[in-house]
Amino acid sequence: MFELDVRSRKAIYEQLVDKVKEMIVYGILKPDEQLPSVRSLSTQLTVNPNTIQKAYRELEREGYIYSLQGKGSFVSSSVEHPKEAMKDEIRDSLVKLIAEASFSGLTKAEMTLLFEEAMARIEKEVPHD
Amino acid sequence: MIELNQVIKAFEQEKAVNGISMHIHKGSIYGLLGSNGAGKTSLLKIIAGIYRQDSGTVRIKGAEIYENLELKGRTIFMADAPYFFPQSSITHMAQFYRSVYPQWSDERFNQLASVFKLDVKRKLHRMSKGMRRQAAVWLGLSCMPEVLLMDEPIDGLDPVMRQQIKNLLFQEAAERQVTIIISSHNLREIEDLCDHVAIMHKGQIIVQKDLDDLKADTHKIQVAFRHPNHADSLKEQVHILHEEKRGSVTLYIVKGHREDVTSQFRLHDPYLLDVLPLTLEEIFIYEMEGAGYDIQPIIL
Repeated sequence: MFELDVRSRKAIYEQLVDKVKEMIVYGILKPDEQLPSVRSLSTQLTVNPNTIQKAYRELEREGYIYSLQGKGSFVSSSVEHPKEAMKDEIRDSLVKLIAEASFSGLTKAEMTLLFEEAMARIEKEVPHD
Repeated sequence: MIELNQVIKAFEQEKAVNGISMHIHKGSIYGLLGSNGAGKTSLLKIIAGIYRQDSGTVRIKGAEIYENLELKGRTIFMADAPYFFPQSSITHMAQFYRSVYPQWSDERFNQLASVFKLDVKRKLHRMSKGMRRQAAVWLGLSCMPEVLLMDEPIDGLDPVMRQQIKNLLFQEAAERQVTIIISSHNLREIEDLCDHVAIMHKGQIIVQKDLDDLKADTHKIQVAFRHPNHADSLKEQVHILHEEKRGSVTLYIVKGHREDVTSQFRLHDPYLLDVLPLTLEEIFIYEMEGAGYDIQPIIL
């Protein structure tokens, strides 16, 4: 279910937190769906159970998941809130990318054209519901 | 679970362990790192109750371990070179362990047979180093310990077995809340295995921390300033462990909160600013450098 990059410089618990958030935001994990137990995930990924526990605690603190005594951890039903955090992150990286593009000589007109093209493609691919 | 307070142990003039205090939680997997001869093995032997400390206290579940049979029956120490009786096989050794460790479980022993595919009748001295290591882990885990002390446990194991043994240790920690202390030079292994680490040097502990905090707390920063003055004013603001100039780009190893450090650097609006987390190996090297043990550019 999760793939971790053990060679990454990023701490394993951080990778786990990000992975779960991503899966919640993209709807791969549905509200009230149960997350794998610390024990089974530890065996599956060969990751220290304390690290997984820590990642779950962090996710709970940020409101992505909730836990029931003796039952396990579940995805929170209020996913609207996490999406906002995601938006901020994307906004930041977009600004950074635009700066980089402008340094490397792309003009405003070219970027606008790219933006329009990309938007057109997305609208064609994703049917409105 | 395990509490050490100002522990000192000297062999003749040499203080192998020089005033170590540490606290290890139940169910934690604790990594002990250090330079060669730092005193890791001595420390493990003190915690195992093999050596008696000259001063200070060592308490496991609130009791002193030295000459404490009850506690020692729940503690396993795996030496860096596993010892078996001459001419013995795994079956012989299992009989011996069964007679010594009251918690020994035949059920567990048989269960583990599916992991370690070793011939229990074969003489241990005719097995390879890695196979003997597997036998030691097999016997050790069958004793159902509450405290597991392992000196260089991954040494000599093939990648499949390493992964297997790691998985076993994780299960021990998760299901039975076993407290595990591992000493190693292999920082990559420790990084995946442990939740807490301590770095030892000359009988003392330089750093001990939650591994993730340690990694979140030290950063590698590459920066190109607009003006050389900027570098000087920065030195007063942030805690710099290491500095290295490579042309117009300077490499800093900085301690502190990521946001704080980054904003300090950003104040000067540098041409280039890259902040990277460190690997455990890098942390080890820079902490050691701070303790006066560094890599010399030697050409012989």
